[in-house]
Amino acid sequence: MAKKVETTEPRWLYVLGIAMPLCLSYIPIGLACGILLHAAGFNFVMALLVSIVVFSGGAQFLIASLLMVNAPLPSIILMLFFLELRYALLGSSLSKYLSNETHRFILLFSASMNDENYAINYLKFATDKNWTPQDALMVEHYSLLAWASGNLVGALIGSAVSINLEIVDFALTALFLYMIVMQVQSNLTFLMALLSAVLSIIFLTWTKSTLGIVISTVLASLCGFFIENQIRKHSNDPTHTLLLRKFVRPENTKDTIEDEQAKREYRERKAARQLKGQENEQSSAVSQPSSQPGEGGHNNV
Amino acid sequence: MSNMFVLAAANHNVKFHLMIIVLGGIAAFLPRYIPLRIFTNRDLPEWFNEWMKYVPVCLFTALVMKGIFVTSDTYKFIPLGHPAQIIAALFVIVIAYLTRSMSMSVVTGLVVVFLASLIL
Repeated sequence: MAKKVETTEPRWLYVLGIAMPLCLSYIPIGLACGILLHAAGFNFVMALLVSIVVFSGGAQFLIASLLMVNAPLPSIILMLFFLELRYALLGSSLSKYLSNETHRFILLFSASMNDENYAINYLKFATDKNWTPQDALMVEHYSLLAWASGNLVGALIGSAVSINLEIVDFALTALFLYMIVMQVQSNLTFLMALLSAVLSIIFLTWTKSTLGIVISTVLASLCGFFIENQIRKHSNDPTHTLLLRKFVRPENTKDTIEDEQAKREYRERKAARQLKGQENEQSSAVSQPSSQPGEGGHNNV
Repeated sequence: MSNMFVLAAANHNVKFHLMIIVLGGIAAFLPRYIPLRIFTNRDLPEWFNEWMKYVPVCLFTALVMKGIFVTSDTYKFIPLGHPAQIIAALFVIVIAYLTRSMSMSVVTGLVVVFLASLIL
């Protein structure tokens, strides 16, 4: 244990430092959400309560906008459920790091997990072997604290300031657009997003209710699932086919774990190809010495 | 537009809000809890994993479409009904693509939609 660096910094402070960028970015969005919830008729106690119980930006904005158009309760809950279904995937991908924890811990942990603190925790679990589930829970609680305070203050100042709500409401659209950009990883996901865009217009105008969103989501996602399945069945290198190839991203943002892995794989493939090329070169050098310069490129033209 | 918000506020009471919070809390909690609880002991089924890859992106796109291109009360398709939002949405996409920062994207969106609505 001599290698371990002695730190005087207490653990909670260290974890707070990790969570800080997230907490800071939650405050303006939480404020906007609180203002909108207030406009939808929530008082500040309810706004605080919903931000603790639901703790999801998208879901809370959705509650506010659905309340404003007087959507019925079952429709609101169904939409929320579909919106939160994505956490099923996030939760199951973290599950391997939490296999030694008690039921009570899992309960607490899942209650305050959301997109952003998941991203931090997943990264820390994958890269930092000193990162414990307790630290992860602490990150969740810090972000919950920042989010709930933002909402509370937003709901309190909502009555004092007059803000154009159509503008604040755009925070939801912006949040979803951001999440779309983060989620589009292959060309096929991009195509399915376009498909869902078209289908949603068709079904929204046809059903005249938010059910149209649920229908288009299910249809487009199943479509993507089946197309991917077909490609995987019929291609021997599915991840490099036109549809499943990675969506092009700017070089400076390629810093996720998947990117690191992809880079490593790319290097390995390249190394393997070079090795193979050298072997070919040697074998052709043995059998046909005259063709050897051709291996290098253009010098025999 | 502001009329509608006042009307909505008057129609709801604390009991209705509590019901939304409790049911919404359940709808938010179950998808987080059940998979985590089950899959800490066993592996995720492959088909579920692959299907879930497409659900969020399709849902978000549909919600954005509803926010920008469909009227919220009559569900009519309005391709150019919210020009400020369309312009701001393009900005958000570019910023999110270049920075991958949530706060940058949302703040840019709010600023652009505010400026664009002043001009348009």
